[in-house]
Order: sequence, then C-alpha cells, then structure tokens
Amino acid sequence: MTFSLNMSFSDLLLLLPEIFLTCWLCVVLIVDFSSPRLPKERLAYLSVAGLLGTLVCLVWFDFNQITGTLFGNMFVLDRMAIFFKVFILGSTILVILASIEYVNRFTLFRGEYYVLVVMSALGMMFMASANDLLSVFVSLEFSTLGFYILVSYLRDDLASNEAGLKFFILGVFAAGLFAYGISLVYGETGKLVFSEMASAQATPGLIIGFLLIFAALGFKIGAVPFHAWIPDTYHGAPTPVTAFLSIAPKGAALAILLRIFLVALGSFKPIWVYLLVAVSIVSMTYGNIVAIAQRNVKRLLAYSGIAQIGNVLIGLAAGTKMGSDAILFYLLAYLFANIGAFAVVIAVSHAIGRDEIEDYRGLNRRSPFLAFAMLLFLLSLAGVPPLAGFIGKLYIFIAAIKEGLYTLIAVGLINIVISMYYYLIVVKQMYINEPIDPSPIGISGPMKAVIYVGLAGTLVIGIYPQPFTDWVVAATLMFADFIVPSATAIPPSLPLGV
Amino acid sequence: MGEYALLYILFAPFAGALALIFVSNRQPLLVRSIASSAAFVSLMASLYIFYTYDPVKGGFQFVQKFEWSKQLGISLYLGVDGIGTPLVLASSILLFAGIFVSWHIKDRTKEFYIWLLILAAATIGVFMSLDLFFLYFFYEMSVIPMYLLLGMWGSHTKNYLEMTDPEGLKRRDSVGFILNFGSNSKEYAAMKLVLFLSAFAVVALMGILLIYKYAGLNTFDILVLREQAKLMNIPVLGTTLDKIIWMLIFFGFASIAPLWPLHSWSPVGHAAAPAATSMLHAGVLMKLGHFSIIRVAFEILPDTTRELMPIAAVLCMFSIIYGGFVAFYAKDTKYVIGYSSSSHMGYVFLGMAALNYISLSGAVIYMFAHAMATGMLFAMAGWVYDQTHSRDIPSLGGLANKMPFISACFIVACMASIGMPGTVNFIAEIMIVVGSWNKYPLQVIVAMLGIVLTLAYLFKMMRGLFYGPMNQKYSHAHDAISTVDRLPLLIMIAISIGFGIFPMHLYDVVRSGVDPLVARITRVVPVAQTGEGIAPRSEVIVPGTTSKTPIVANKLVPLPAEASRGERE
Repeated sequence: MTFSLNMSFSDLLLLLPEIFLTCWLCVVLIVDFSSPRLPKERLAYLSVAGLLGTLVCLVWFDFNQITGTLFGNMFVLDRMAIFFKVFILGSTILVILASIEYVNRFTLFRGEYYVLVVMSALGMMFMASANDLLSVFVSLEFSTLGFYILVSYLRDDLASNEAGLKFFILGVFAAGLFAYGISLVYGETGKLVFSEMASAQATPGLIIGFLLIFAALGFKIGAVPFHAWIPDTYHGAPTPVTAFLSIAPKGAALAILLRIFLVALGSFKPIWVYLLVAVSIVSMTYGNIVAIAQRNVKRLLAYSGIAQIGNVLIGLAAGTKMGSDAILFYLLAYLFANIGAFAVVIAVSHAIGRDEIEDYRGLNRRSPFLAFAMLLFLLSLAGVPPLAGFIGKLYIFIAAIKEGLYTLIAVGLINIVISMYYYLIVVKQMYINEPIDPSPIGISGPMKAVIYVGLAGTLVIGIYPQPFTDWVVAATLMFADFIVPSATAIPPSLPLGV
Repeated sequence: MGEYALLYILFAPFAGALALIFVSNRQPLLVRSIASSAAFVSLMASLYIFYTYDPVKGGFQFVQKFEWSKQLGISLYLGVDGIGTPLVLASSILLFAGIFVSWHIKDRTKEFYIWLLILAAATIGVFMSLDLFFLYFFYEMSVIPMYLLLGMWGSHTKNYLEMTDPEGLKRRDSVGFILNFGSNSKEYAAMKLVLFLSAFAVVALMGILLIYKYAGLNTFDILVLREQAKLMNIPVLGTTLDKIIWMLIFFGFASIAPLWPLHSWSPVGHAAAPAATSMLHAGVLMKLGHFSIIRVAFEILPDTTRELMPIAAVLCMFSIIYGGFVAFYAKDTKYVIGYSSSSHMGYVFLGMAALNYISLSGAVIYMFAHAMATGMLFAMAGWVYDQTHSRDIPSLGGLANKMPFISACFIVACMASIGMPGTVNFIAEIMIVVGSWNKYPLQVIVAMLGIVLTLAYLFKMMRGLFYGPMNQKYSHAHDAISTVDRLPLLIMIAISIGFGIFPMHLYDVVRSGVDPLVARITRVVPVAQTGEGIAPRSEVIVPGTTSKTPIVANKLVPLPAEASRGERE
C-alpha cells in the first residue's frame, strides 16, 4: 500500500461534500462564538443549510454517476457510499429540526450541540466511504466522539450521565476489540483494503479477527449479544440524540458490514451465514419479547430498534445483491418511521415532561395529528401494509427466501406478530383510553415539518416503492462483481433448514 | 365507468377516507355525506360490474394491471371472476348500509368513518386482487382498522360471555376460550382479534413466499403461477412441498373464516364491535378466508386441493354443530349472531370441500347470502343495543310493541338466516346440500341438524328480544322511524329476497367462475347446458391426462363428484 500525494484537483472533487461540510462546521462554530446574542435556532437553521448544501452536492454526484477511489483505496465514493451519505445527512437534518425546541431548554452550550451533531454526521459520512479497516476505525471513532458528548448532554440529569458513561465505557471497549481485530486480520493477510482480502484463506486468526470486528460493529448497530448499552443509553440520552443514535450510526455501520461481508468475506459465505442467522434470530426475538415489558416509550423504541436490526441482518444473511438492496430499502423505511416516532415522543414529552407509555393516554383527544402520526409510524415499524415498513420487511423476506433461509424467515414472521402486540399497546393508550388531562398539545413549526416528512416518507415508500427500489438497486450494483455466483442462483430444490 | 369500474369500487372509499381527513369533526353532516357518497360510488360501480359481468365469456373481467415493483415482480393486478363479483357487490352493499347504520355515532364521527371506509376498501381489494402480494397486502390492511373500530367505538362484553343452559348450568365455549385470559374488555377483544388474525396471516404469507420461491418465476401473478408454477412432487421433510404450502395457506386463511378450532377470536370480536363493524366483519371480512383459500390454494394447487380438502370436510362439521350449540346457550344478542355466523361458515367449507360445480357454486352464493342475512341481524342487534344499552337477552323482552318495524325486519332476517324459500340463502343452502350429498352424506346430515339448530337459537333470541313481558326499564326505546335508519335494512332485505326470487343472473355469474376452477381441480369438464347459461368449455388441457378430449362427467344431471371419484380411481 503506497500513498501517492500527487493528487489532482479532480480527485479532490470526490471529497467535496466532506470538505464543504467541514468548512461549514467551522463557520457554524465561529458564528456561535462571535455573536453570542444570536438566537440559537439560527445556528440550527445554519447547520441545516450546510447539510442541505452537502446533500445537493451528493445528489448531483449520484445523477452524474461520479465515483472513484482516493488515498490508495482507503476512501471510496461509489453509489452505495452516496446512498448512505444521503441517508445520514437526511437523518441529521431531521434530527436537528426535531431538536430545536428541545435544545432551547438547555441553559448552557446550546450552540455547540448543533456543531457536535454535524461533526458526528461528518464522521459517519467517512464511515460510509471507508474501504479499508484503518479508515473504518478512524471514522468510526471520529463519529462516536461526538456521540459520547451528546449522550451526556443533560449535565444535571443523572440518567443522562449514566447513559453517557455506559456508552463511553462499552464504546471504548468495542473500539479496543476492533483494533485487536484489525491487527489479527492484518497479521494474517497483510491486507487492509476490503476488496484485496477477497482471496484470503480462512485461517483461525483471520476468523477470530473478523469475529472481533463483527462484535465491534454489532455494538454500533445494537445487535444481541452486543446490545447491553442500548436501553439505558437510549433512555437517558436527550431524546433528539436518542433519535439520532437510533438511525444514523446504524446506517453507517451497516454500510461497513455490507462491505466486509459481501466484498471482503464474500467467499466465506457458508461460514458466516450461520453467525448472522444466529445473531439475527436472537436479536429479533430478544428485542421483541423484552419490548413487551417496557413502560417507557424510549426504552420500547430502543428494544424495537434491536429487533429491527435483527430483521436487517436477515438481509445480510441472505448475502446476495438482492439482500443488500433489501437492507438499503429497509433502512429507508426505518429512517422515516423511527425519526417520526421519536419526533412525536419529543413533542409529547415537551408538553407533558415525561415519556412513559401511560402518559400517552388519550393522545387522540389531545392532539389528533400527533396520535395519527404515531399510529402510522408504529404500524410501519411493525410492518403493516400499506406502510413503508411492510414493503421493507417483505423485500428482506423475499431476498432471504431466494437463498432458502426458511428458519430465519419463519422466526421473522412470528416476530412481526409479537412486535404488533407492544406497538398496539401504545396505540391503545393513544386511541382507546381517555385522557386524564384533556388539554390540547401544541406542536412547534419545525417539529411539524419533521413529522410531515416522516409521514410522507412512510406513506409514499409504502404505496409507490418503485423509485426507491430503483435507487437501492442502482446503489448496490458494485456487489454484483463480488458475490459468488453459486450463492445467487436459485437451486431447483433445497432441503428445509437453515 | 366501463373498464375502470374496479378502480372506482376500490379507490372511492380510500378517496373518501382521504377527503375526511381534511374535514372538521364539527360538521357531522358533511362527514356523513362524504362517507356515504364515497360508499355510494362504490356501490353503483359494483352493481355495474355485477350486471355487466358476462357469464358466457367467464374468466377475469374488468382487468386492470399496473406495474408496481419490477424488482419484486409485483403489479397491482385487479380483476373479478364469477366468484369475486358477488363478493365485491356484497362488500359495497354492506359498506353503504353500514354507514347508515352508524349514522348516530357522536364520538369522533370522522375517525369512525375513515376507519370504516379503509376496512371496507381493503376487503374489497382482496376480492379483486389477482396478485398474491396485493391479496396479502389488502388482507393484512383490513385487520388493523378492526383494532381501532373495536377499541374506540366498541362496547365491553362484560358478563355476557357466560352462557346458561335451561337447567341453569353455566356453560362456556371451552375450545374458543383456550386463549381467553378471562378478560371481557373491548381492548382485550380487539387485541385478540388483531394478534390472532396477524399470526395466521403470517402463516399464509409463509406459504405465499414458498410459492414465490419454488415457482422461480419472480412473480406474484396468480394467473401466471397457476399456469406455470411446478410445485408438485418436491420431497420435503418426509412429505411433499405442495402439501406443506397448501396447509400453510389453508390454515392461514381459514382462521379468518373462521374454521372450528380457530374461531375463538371471532365471537368476542363481534360482541365488542360497533354494529357497522360487526356487519362488515361477519358479512365480508370472514369471507376473505374462504375467498383467499379459493383464490390461492384452489387456483395454484388444484391437485393438492383435491387430495387434502377432506380436512375441511371434517372440521366443518365441528364448526356447524359447535357454533350452533354455543349460540343456543349464549345470552348476548351479538354473541348469538357471532356464533351463528361461525356456524354458518361451516356450510361454506362443506360446499368447498365437496368440490363439485353445484356445491362450490352454492358455497359462493352462500357467502353472498350470509353477508346480507347476518348484516341485517347485526344491524338490528345494534339498534336494540343503542336503544336499551343492553345485549342481555333474558333482561330484554316485549320490544315488539316499541319497535314494530325492527321486529318485522328481524323476522325476515331470521328467515333469511335459516334459509327460508324465497330468500337467496335457501338457494345457496339447497345447492350445498344437494351438491355435497354424494361425497359427504354425513356432513350433509350434520348441516341439516345445523339448520334446525339455527331455527332454535334464532327463534329463541327473537322471542327473548321482542315478545313476552316487557322490561319497563326499556320503555323509552323507540323504533327506527327515519328513512336513514330504515334504508340499510330495506336494502339488505330487498337484495336478499330479490335474489331469492330471481337468482338466475347471480347463479350464472357464480357458475362461470366456479366451472373452470372445478374443472381444473377434478379434471372433469362440466356438462354442456342447453339454452342460455353456461357455454360449453371447448377443451381443458390438463397436464398429465393422456387424451386431449375432455372427459364429460355425466350425460344428464351434473353430478361430477361421482365422475371425479371414478376418474381418480
């Protein structure tokens, strides 16, 4: 691996979104310091403007199919990277808009909040493009740094501090595992770039190395058994940060997982499929069953997030191009539903001050709009037609059944029913029970915008998914080169089983 | 109109629901008129397709196809055959009637009509889907509105679930209560309904996904799958794949039908639901089960159907007798009607199990007929409940003085439900009985007993509600006087009696759908009929038969069951 520093300007074009966002980040920081009297909402809108600019730039890249690699294959900008960057930027924009009201209640460091959010987003954009283990490690830690601070942002709240501490200790532990995994893999193969590892032999060192890396990434996405931090951190963190944490890092980590499993380890599919099947089954079942017992909406959404990741891993276990399409599509559906649900949680807790499930009593009487939006978001998470989540789940199941993963699909289908139970408990509180305090709940403008975007996304993807499936299919074209053909062919008959 | 009639039927209620979102709850009249006009458009369009459906041509008509997802091989493929057409008509009649039945709902009127319209539209969507994906899509979509309708506007079932026999012994539906945790609240009923139906829906979805995978055609198109899918003779787990798929599909969809051991969600759900929802629920939602079995299992796996349908023939006996006896001992009006529905759905299974032209046509007509009869009964039980706030039969009585119109209609509805000549139920019942006699004489005897039971419990309920001494607590109850209240009942009575006296068009339409299906399953071609009616099928090429010439069942009276048995042996 050699670095050539004679980069031309056109090479730097590939980095344009990141460079632009970094400069904008500095501008936001400078504005925050130089004009302390400026209302902090302005900073939020300023950050959103920068993120939108970056988004436009990426969309332009996508239309003109600008792709390429930089720094000796460490940084790759392919269409999948663009997809995940758009995903991350989109969720960041929605999170910033959803947090304006919340942040205004802070007494200190209101401006820095937006800077930290954008900084984490920047780190995750690098994750989406990371194409070798070192750049994965660096970008992963870069993005997590911002989150460590954001999670414990409520300085006087013990729960938030506990959340931050838990997240930090386990996060650092995961980073250690990751670094150790990299060293083992490098020791065995002498390679760091994913696409060059494809021809490696399955030595014990390599397998252990990748298991460690999977554990670290499993920590990021919150798959069982690496989920222990999720409920407490989600519960204690400021709600907008929870929303951010539940979407963007999962997307970025899945981009890396896709690259690792389909590109670097494509030839080892018969081995890792068992690992993924096991993790997926355990995540779905554990997340859904434990969610039933929750009394707090944020914890409920945390456990439902664990279960959703189990669903996503079905697509990864399929290990085909269609599986990766399905993952990308599912993430889109998940983005809108989850951010919408969290936006409703923020709006309700802003008015009531608590976020227990029983506080949602009679929400339909107090704010029909919020209740209806929450209903659709929860049903989309549960996978009920005609909402986006249903198509996402079905896409993943179709991808998996083509590979003959019957057990996994059966478990996934049963889990749909289990998850419906606890989502409907929230619906019951909102619609069936009468409110104790019938005063109406007001919603601020930006929050309304976020909820509308969530509703639009959930409904449009569910009712007319064709443009989105086209997009995800185009985004994962690169995998077609790496996947072993025998894995994708439809065998005439397969015995039942895994 | 014309070609796009199906789109009107399907999307008018959706459009109505969408429009209602922008209307304020403070204008109840506007809300009701939007809902009723959406339902009216749907009703007119379904009357149009019913009368312009050409039974001579047969097959799927009014077909609409829009590509929906290339990658997954899904298209919004709508079309009705002779089986779908009457059911679409029944759904839109019940939707229209249901809107008038629930005219007096005061609480959150707008939301009520939104969910009612979505429920009906989703049901209609199943009846016209020619794509497995959309069939499941609409099927699952119809379940969620039930949760809200039951939960928000339903009523608690309180102590009504206890049943007493004439000696004063307490009895309960022990099979149905396996999953009952003792709660009688409407929330419980709603949750049970949704979870039960979803649990079995995913079983059916597993079957659908297996069909998709093993057909290997990358399509969910039922018509392509039934011609080209080769699902037979693939050994799996000691049996063959087609049997596994058939079982998944059959039991997945039979839960909503509801077939006997899977019926427990249904009466509880009926009892908790508001009147209009019960009407749609018993009238058409339950038929989704039979219809989906016909559409998926019968069409795609005809040979397996012939082999495994005796399962239904066994279970339907339990449905009929068990439902009948529980209905006899029940004290709650809606509970009686609910169990009577689940008992009557056994007749449909009997008609389906016998697999010949007469009995299957009878089953389809019975679905239509039962929709009207049970719709009337639920509408009137709802009226009585609205007036008295009681569904407890022993505490009611003598209401005929107060509500002569309702009690007159109730008699008609009971007659229809029993299958009195002159109502369309009679035609359906006689067809099922005659058609099934050769193959399943025991079941037919049981079905006859079921009719006697129906007579017993419906008359018992009628006496309890309308005759005998009146409870003075309910002296304020009044009759349905206004047109709005009478209209839904009159429509359903008119349809029920109208088709009872002039059934030919209904019969022709149904036969045109049933004939090719039974020909595929039993591999016997129906006898050519003289005069107008069904044109002779020129030839049905069945893979596996040696000669291309069709096997003609019988020269005179079509009793293809015999012939089919002979052909198989």
